[in-house]
Amino acid sequence: MSTHELAEVERLRRHLAQSRRLYEVRDDGQGGRHWQEVGPKDFTPLEPEGDPPPFSAKLFFFAERELLFRFDGGQFYSSLPEVRPQAIFGLHACDLQAIAYQDRFFAQDPHYQARRHATLLVGVECRESCSNGFCSLVESGPLVGDGLADLVLVRRDDARGWWLRVGSAAGAEAIRELRLPTNLDGCQATRESNAARVALAQLHDRELLDGVAALNAGQVSADTWETLGTHCFGCSGCTQVCPTCSCFAPLEQVGASGEVQHERVWDSCLYEGFQAEASGHNPSASPGQRVQRFWLHKFGEPFREQFGHYGCVGCGRCDRVCPGGIGVHGVIGEVGRP
Amino acid sequence: MNVVPSVCTFCGVGCGIGLRVENDRVVGVEPQPGHPVSQGQLCAKGWSTSFAIDAGHRLTRPLIKEHGRFRPASWDEALERVANEFGVARDAAGPTAVGVISCARATNEDNYAAQKFARAVLGTHNIDHCARICHSPSVAGLVRTLGSGAMTNGIADIDLADVILVIGADVTENHAMIGARMLRAQARGARLIVIDPRRTRLARLADIHLQPRLGTNIALLNGLLQIILANGWENSAFLASRCEDTGPLRHHLSDVTPERTSAKTGIAVADLEEVARLYSQARAAYLAYGMGITQFQSGTNNVIAVSNLALACGQVGRPGTGINPLRGQNNVQGACDMGCLPNVYPGYQDASALAVQARFGEAWSVTSPVTPGLTSLGMTRAARDGALRALMIIGEDPVLTDPDQNQVAHALGALDFLVVLELSMTETARLADVVLPAASFAEKDGTFTNCERRVQRVRRAVTPPGEAKADWKILAELAVRMGYPGMDWEDAEAVFDEMALLTPIFSAMTYARLDEHHGLQWPCDAARPQGSPFLHEERFPLGKGRLLPVTNVAPDECPDAEYPFFLTTHRLHFQYGGGSMTRHSPLLEREIPAGLLSMHPDDGGALGLHDRQAVRVRSRRGELETRVRLTDEVPRGTVAMPYHFREAPCNRLTNDAQDPITHMPELKACAVAVEGLPAGEAPNAEAGAAEVIRHVHS
Repeated sequence: MSTHELAEVERLRRHLAQSRRLYEVRDDGQGGRHWQEVGPKDFTPLEPEGDPPPFSAKLFFFAERELLFRFDGGQFYSSLPEVRPQAIFGLHACDLQAIAYQDRFFAQDPHYQARRHATLLVGVECRESCSNGFCSLVESGPLVGDGLADLVLVRRDDARGWWLRVGSAAGAEAIRELRLPTNLDGCQATRESNAARVALAQLHDRELLDGVAALNAGQVSADTWETLGTHCFGCSGCTQVCPTCSCFAPLEQVGASGEVQHERVWDSCLYEGFQAEASGHNPSASPGQRVQRFWLHKFGEPFREQFGHYGCVGCGRCDRVCPGGIGVHGVIGEVGRP
Repeated sequence: MNVVPSVCTFCGVGCGIGLRVENDRVVGVEPQPGHPVSQGQLCAKGWSTSFAIDAGHRLTRPLIKEHGRFRPASWDEALERVANEFGVARDAAGPTAVGVISCARATNEDNYAAQKFARAVLGTHNIDHCARICHSPSVAGLVRTLGSGAMTNGIADIDLADVILVIGADVTENHAMIGARMLRAQARGARLIVIDPRRTRLARLADIHLQPRLGTNIALLNGLLQIILANGWENSAFLASRCEDTGPLRHHLSDVTPERTSAKTGIAVADLEEVARLYSQARAAYLAYGMGITQFQSGTNNVIAVSNLALACGQVGRPGTGINPLRGQNNVQGACDMGCLPNVYPGYQDASALAVQARFGEAWSVTSPVTPGLTSLGMTRAARDGALRALMIIGEDPVLTDPDQNQVAHALGALDFLVVLELSMTETARLADVVLPAASFAEKDGTFTNCERRVQRVRRAVTPPGEAKADWKILAELAVRMGYPGMDWEDAEAVFDEMALLTPIFSAMTYARLDEHHGLQWPCDAARPQGSPFLHEERFPLGKGRLLPVTNVAPDECPDAEYPFFLTTHRLHFQYGGGSMTRHSPLLEREIPAGLLSMHPDDGGALGLHDRQAVRVRSRRGELETRVRLTDEVPRGTVAMPYHFREAPCNRLTNDAQDPITHMPELKACAVAVEGLPAGEAPNAEAGAAEVIRHVHS
């Protein structure tokens, strides 16, 4: 694994965009910020800092609506996505950690893996904490963990140029033609100071760890969960934007000719119907139980053991999207209070 | 994949959404963190948009009914048929025998085209839409007290209030992002007060919940006002400078006492006093109300009672205050603004005024109609009596949403000709002679106006399925066939520009300016080019505000021995309207599959019912079967049903007793009987549906 000097990050982007579809987060001028395709002739400067976009990169691999198969009345036809090489440019460490989590969950899923294998991940290490983030407390940032990205950008302290860390053979191959000089002078020191700065800014969020401990110790009362559950509108926003949420439901549509299209679509465990059984029995019948279940999946030790990481990467998206104010700070931040 | 900025197509809040498009299909949505209304959040309906407009269940070709069955037809044949039928009806019985019911879900451009089609092409003021059954009393009531019927303040004013008073509105379910904003305001210290006979989510989270008996709104509001006046808590300076004489109202309230109010409403005197004090003494109190005020036969007077309270306390005309009717549909404000009402042209210009008639007649090169138009329920009645012969319904489903379903189906069945413009086959479309496939909001350009008067752009993100077209385009082609060339617009922007030219309150708006400003709130004219975030700062449109004496009127039909329960109607967070969009989401559909009846556990116990048991619900007008949900959300003696479900259409039971001023039907209260079906039996969706079924096949 090598580290290179990169004077102009946009040059790298233009180069990568020549042979693949490249996506970067941009403002749309109407209040939205999202991953948008950027062409090889785009000279817009990269804006690496700031809050993450509403959506992580999960939708590039775990599609929100995916055709699995068709049935024409006689025969089933499986459907695999048509994939083209693509690059996701400017991923923060938290989102890269989430992709690694999803990679494990969907390890055997051909749809996910088809897209994933066609994708080059280009990370950027944050120098400042974003407004709701707490990556340093859940060990998902701000530094990009080894093996989580093909390429990682580290901005120099003087903001004049970058280091480019190569994280995989695919990453090395992607930049080979650029012939970037190797240089790691000062890179590690800068990274360590970035990590320290972000951790310091996130220090006030240590109470979240008390909440995680209380959650795992079963110290949160059913009443507390029900109070939180009253704040849950069942909108599904948290599970939509959570980069590690991976639940899906079937959708079958019958066409005019009788052909059946079987899709899988993003589901949400905050819906009452998510766990409802045909008998009418529901193991998570109350909103409080559903909220509890969701957070156990994010911070429960058994899940951490299974996936090697918390199901929460500290991006803070749930805080922003929750109309009831029960994102991670509203729940985990509260349940740890004595 | 690309993301197209747009506005949510469900309720009147007007949240910003990005439509995520892949291969010419909307696969999902995302919230817009920088949107002034929704601030990066959405409700369950908004998140499910992609299912709502999926091509899989959409109408893709015009349909003509022959021998009780639909067959596909070309646009040419279908439009020719529509043009002929309207021509025949008009020639036989005059322009008052034809009419249009427009659509609060469609764009301003579609609605402008609909009323122009009615007035300039058909030559009638018979144009209305579903505002009739949601906020027509708000318009009528507030016009009488202030002179203007829209929300006086914006949604962002919630952030500035120190008291928030919600009356008869289930805000977290129906206007979820406004509910969310109220909860955020409460979290930063504002006091949240909810008045609702049902124990809604917001009521449970509120600092104070007053649970009045159904149909005692005016008694309660008069009672609060009497306490305020008795304690000298009114805003005397505001009353002196901004309002007309309050003498008649004070005299009217002279025999009200807190004890009498308490006896009438069922609310303790101490709670009444606390709410009267908090609201009147607040630095800024934001009052919001919904259909729990308007959907009564005393709807207009209910609104006047609300207005009296706000005026007496001076909680109008400043940031953080206001009288704020929460409007139901994404563009119900716009459909009203565009003049899809029998009595007004676009911008509330009086349709009976000769100067206004002349102005539009000249602009449109026609002779303006002079006969007053019919309301939607008026048209239904006229159809039943044979006076209305041909009707166009654009994107509405009155068979599910209007009171007394059997009467509605009977009336639509009595028409010579019914044409429906729709996205998918609805209960109402089934009754039509011709059905025309319409483009959804994601398939066309245009504007929606949210409940705070903010006009916002929607953009074409994908191609309409099959041969579907924008409503305005369908109307324009029909106009040409009927010999009127004045609707041959180039695009949606041209429709908007024509409208803005003729509508003073929109006169400084263009698509470019809407884009620049995240939408603009009318009035937006030369004097106020940045729009108007709140109204009535210096004076009311009437000059001085009017506090008008009103008296409580009991619901037309109250429980008795035969029908012992009050039935009230409501909506669910997961569903919208007649469900023709939301019910295509497998996730929303899974939540509450076919409707329900909420009943207090004590009442359920008395009837020997267990949770989820199948029940038959009967009123004097019809019956249906559904499942009972035992919950303390409703008080003893009152049951509640949502209206989204064709399997259990509560509007087969509701009463069409009407507000005498606006013809708003009393959807919020009627009397029903409930009986359990044998254990193990499932509700029959066709029980009691004979009248509807009969007209589908005729």
